Amino acid sequence: MNTVLVFLEAKSGEPTRISLEALAAGAQMAAATGAELAVAMVGAATGAGFEMLGAARQVFAIEDPLLSEYTADGFTASYAQLIEQVKPEFVVLPHTYQVRDFAPRLATRLGRVLISDVTGIAMDAGKVTLTRQLFQGKLNGHYHAVAHAPTLLSVQAGAFRAEAATVTQASVTTFTPNLDAASIRTKPGEPFRAAAQTVDLASAPLLVSVGRGIKDEANLPLVKELAEALGAELAASRPICDAGWLPMERQVGSSGQTVAPKLYLAVGISGAIQHLVGMKGSQCVVAINKDENAPIFEIADYGIVGDLFEVVPALTAAVRKAKG
Amino acid sequence: MPVVSPIFAACWLPGLTLAEPVHFSLVEKLLLAALIAASGWLFWRRFGVIARRILAARKDADFHLFPLGRRCWDFFWEVLCQAKVIRERPLPGLAHAFVFWSFLAFALVTANHVATGFGVGFLDPGGFFGRLYFLIAAIFALACAVSIAGLFVRRFVVRPVWLAHKDKTVSWESGVIAGLIFLLMATYLGAYFVPDGSLAVRLLWWAHTLTLLSFLPLVPHTKHLHLILSPVTVFLSRGGFSEIPPLADDDDFGLVTGKDVTQLTALQVYSCVECGRCTEHCPAANTGKELNPREIILGLRGYLNEFGPASEESLLGRWNSQQAAFQCTTCGSCEFQCPVGIEHLPVIVGLRRGAVNTGEWEDEHGGKLFLALERSGNALGMAHSEREKFMAREELPMFDGSQEYCLWLGCMGGYDPKGREIIRSFVEVMRYLGTSYGVMRREKCTGDPARRLGNDLVFQQLAEANLETLAQNKVKKIVSICPHCVRTISEDWKAYGTPPEIEHHSEFLARHQARLPKSAASQTGQTGQTVFHDPCYLGRYRNVYEEPRAIVRAHGDLVEAERSRERSFCCGAGGGLAFLGEEQGARVSETRVEQLVATGATTIGAACPFCNTMFRDALASRGEGAPQLLDIAQIAAAALPTSVKESDSLNMQEERREEK
Amino acid sequence: MKIIVAIKQVPERDARIRIDSAGKWIALDEIEFRMNESDAYALEEALLLKEAHGGEVVVLSAGPERVGQTIREALAKGADRGIHIASDKLGEYDALGVARLMAAAIADEQADLILTGLQSDDLGLGQTGVILAELLGIPHSSLILKIEKTEAGIRVLRELEDGWFQHIEMTTPALLTIQSGNTRLRYATLMGIKKARSKELRVVEADAISVDAARCVSLDSVALPSRQKTTQMLTGTPAEAAAALVEKLQQEVRVL
Repeated sequence: MNTVLVFLEAKSGEPTRISLEALAAGAQMAAATGAELAVAMVGAATGAGFEMLGAARQVFAIEDPLLSEYTADGFTASYAQLIEQVKPEFVVLPHTYQVRDFAPRLATRLGRVLISDVTGIAMDAGKVTLTRQLFQGKLNGHYHAVAHAPTLLSVQAGAFRAEAATVTQASVTTFTPNLDAASIRTKPGEPFRAAAQTVDLASAPLLVSVGRGIKDEANLPLVKELAEALGAELAASRPICDAGWLPMERQVGSSGQTVAPKLYLAVGISGAIQHLVGMKGSQCVVAINKDENAPIFEIADYGIVGDLFEVVPALTAAVRKAKG
Repeated sequence: MPVVSPIFAACWLPGLTLAEPVHFSLVEKLLLAALIAASGWLFWRRFGVIARRILAARKDADFHLFPLGRRCWDFFWEVLCQAKVIRERPLPGLAHAFVFWSFLAFALVTANHVATGFGVGFLDPGGFFGRLYFLIAAIFALACAVSIAGLFVRRFVVRPVWLAHKDKTVSWESGVIAGLIFLLMATYLGAYFVPDGSLAVRLLWWAHTLTLLSFLPLVPHTKHLHLILSPVTVFLSRGGFSEIPPLADDDDFGLVTGKDVTQLTALQVYSCVECGRCTEHCPAANTGKELNPREIILGLRGYLNEFGPASEESLLGRWNSQQAAFQCTTCGSCEFQCPVGIEHLPVIVGLRRGAVNTGEWEDEHGGKLFLALERSGNALGMAHSEREKFMAREELPMFDGSQEYCLWLGCMGGYDPKGREIIRSFVEVMRYLGTSYGVMRREKCTGDPARRLGNDLVFQQLAEANLETLAQNKVKKIVSICPHCVRTISEDWKAYGTPPEIEHHSEFLARHQARLPKSAASQTGQTGQTVFHDPCYLGRYRNVYEEPRAIVRAHGDLVEAERSRERSFCCGAGGGLAFLGEEQGARVSETRVEQLVATGATTIGAACPFCNTMFRDALASRGEGAPQLLDIAQIAAAALPTSVKESDSLNMQEERREEK
Repeated sequence: MKIIVAIKQVPERDARIRIDSAGKWIALDEIEFRMNESDAYALEEALLLKEAHGGEVVVLSAGPERVGQTIREALAKGADRGIHIASDKLGEYDALGVARLMAAAIADEQADLILTGLQSDDLGLGQTGVILAELLGIPHSSLILKIEKTEAGIRVLRELEDGWFQHIEMTTPALLTIQSGNTRLRYATLMGIKKARSKELRVVEADAISVDAARCVSLDSVALPSRQKTTQMLTGTPAEAAAALVEKLQQEVRVL
């Protein structure tokens, strides 16, 4: 019988959210092709994380002391061996930094090519069409595998909805790969966070940026509270830093920092070109401004036209509520 | 001839005859000859070195002596008439002019003086021509003596800050030279007051001679070298304003070492009279930056003195700093003001070229700018889809060869929200006039910031790409809201092809002024006055001063800032500096805004999107009471009847009237 | 240290995307080409290593004739020589096929380090480098920000998710894929361009390289996404707008 094998990634023993999304994608494919669903994850079979994988028929716990920390060599070899054993039709992985690191290598070892960062799966009369984004999302490409099984794919975060975990007891099989310490050629160090004492707007994932609309230095705490609620760094446009209300190192724009966060929340910033140049690389721009014609709205993904002195406290409250 | 006839009359007054010694002994003649030889030798010992240094420098590859007309005119106007000297500093300028004109008048007097010593004097103090000439010379001598005394007082008592050196001292040689000039004049005039044939006549003659012979060797040792060199410098100048010479060959990257200094540059550097006009007008020097245009020139002179024109020592180092070279806004005040014909911009841009073309210049913002120009084709590094969105939203027609004008948006007009407002207003005016225009999808930055920062590679790529696009689209005429685009397209692109005709929108608006509605103050709600800020690249670079003023005047009261027209003070954006991050010292933009606000005007009229963006920031920090900032296109568009649509253009209205 | 930098020429980042008549790729007329951004950072890292430790930087690129221009640009920035795998039909190869061509073209180079950018701006696969490492049988690390030379080999700084980092020690030869943005890129200079003219650029015809060119995956068609980016205005009372925004941040932006 055909199998869809989903590899999951664990964090503190639990499968991550994106892994569960990959599992959902795998389940969808299995259902459509009438294949059996199998799941594999690195870790001890007794781990708590395996409990929530009940939807799968087969669960493999890949166990080896050499896999205690991630290495591309170790994971590639183990996964390849499991694939050899299971002989699945499809191999589904979550498109994480870790998967991006070893999966192309894994596919090559199997003489295949990974279809990475998939956002859509369509199945029609036995033909599976996989969609992925090209040109930074400006174009969609539709792919299909030409070679024989297995077809390897990794799915984009958020592209599939993780189903509610149904806790049914599944049989967990321990899979012990044949690993040789000498075949692991990289020595990874302990992960660490960048020192946080200096302001580093360039690498901050979330930014709340304040502009002239704040009117007075005394109103800054309003925005600071929002930044804290979001867990964001505070940034500013030039007039705020010129006035000395915030240090120059927090200035975004042509004469300050160039930033590219996941979220850039512009409060009371009209969007002069000097400012736009510094933040145009942001993935999502939210603008709050009382002037509906402010240029910042032209590049914003979401806009709220309104008095920031009303909108910002409301937003802070809503964020706190959402975060619990 | 009210002035001349009294001089003629005075010629016959018995007391007004110049006394000259009649007979010189052989000893005296030999002594004179020896002194002349010694003086000449001392002169040449220094002057020869300088002359050889200038001639040993690299030839100017692009130099053409012809056409001579312009050179002769410059020589007449700037050297003989002393126009630049007088215009900027009228009183000291006039004093200097009198000293200069006296020297001219004294050419014949001095020749005769020396000839007299050898018994071959050719001007007879008793004859009509001699009397007349000596008397005219005497009048000049008097004016000269008064002038030089005045200039002495100015330099050593009043002590204007611009005359001081870096270390705040004033050159003592100037005092000695002034003393010698005064002595020359005094010993000449004295001869009118001593009896013929007396010992005093002889003593005066010798005193005059000795002064003259001590003066001569001092000339090449001091800034008074300009007496000899600056007329040549003015005559041989490159001609164009801020003319950046083409790179000579594959090994020319701009001013890197002494080997790159050309003859013209060397000549100019040795002509510097250290008057400080350049520095007085320099926006960088006036806002506490390291850059001081006079010191750049003197630094180059110091380099040539120490290392010579064959040296491979870097020009940026001991004598000039890289930081100073990159603080220049290329506003051109220095070059415009220089009375001895020094062309500062080719030197400053040349030093930048040397640093950028070889990759020596490392600057976070500068590197980012070049990469943005390389990769995105605009200085802001914006996606050109943003520009296309703006064109679509404003329904700007595409240029297809059928329209009269290609409307050049420029980086600011295409991407900057304020610049876009200017475009919008200008388009309204063009629609009202029924002028046909179109925009080009594949327009790129003209390369202005790259050109001024000395990046020849990026500039050439942009110029060539744009020239090709213009040719493909069969563009004949361009109109632009940006003086930097206008200048770069019309002048700098010539190195790579033949650019279409281009004009600035102020020129376009002024030409169509008669067909545009004027606004009564009540109509636009403008109650106060408007001060117009002359953009450097429109004024000094293009000589356009009246056109934008005509537009301002049609819509309100025009007031002038203290520094306006040719003397306008930069906004701080030029020379690529708009993209280079924080400034040392005070911000040029804020200094300029202060000057403009001081006029009490309620509106600042601008004609350049870069000035506009600089002032916008500077005005923001002034709070609520700050004057409003408008481009002349916005001023003109405000007076148009509301809802100007393409269908309502003037031409259409006229056509309809004709149909009726 | 001998470093090979694999560079891809891609349509410029902001190119206007139109689909060609066959519906299989974008229309390439009117498109300008640039060096792929993260490859430019890979080149910069290679040049910094060369400046610090000496050695040679070799640039490798595959594609039609226009690719030569990008190789020249890399040579102008300081690379020592170039290898151009010339092919007008590179689109017919998948990532494995291209990597096989590259592996064959540099088989004799014996490089200590091979660098590539993290991923290309057009296809965005992020695989070619890692595949090449497997084909060459050498270790690799991806998402690399910094490279230090050590006695045993190299120590690299790898970016992990959510602001975490990790050092990895590796032996050489090795392959690294470089993340954008960690260093300041140098600009191309006139002097560099002139010097590049005399540097060696070896052209290898792809057809002359015998590799298994059979594809594993095929790009059948491309389509413009139905939803273009527009500004969504959130209206209502401040509290309603705030609630709507929080929902977007949770569901679509996924930052909460």
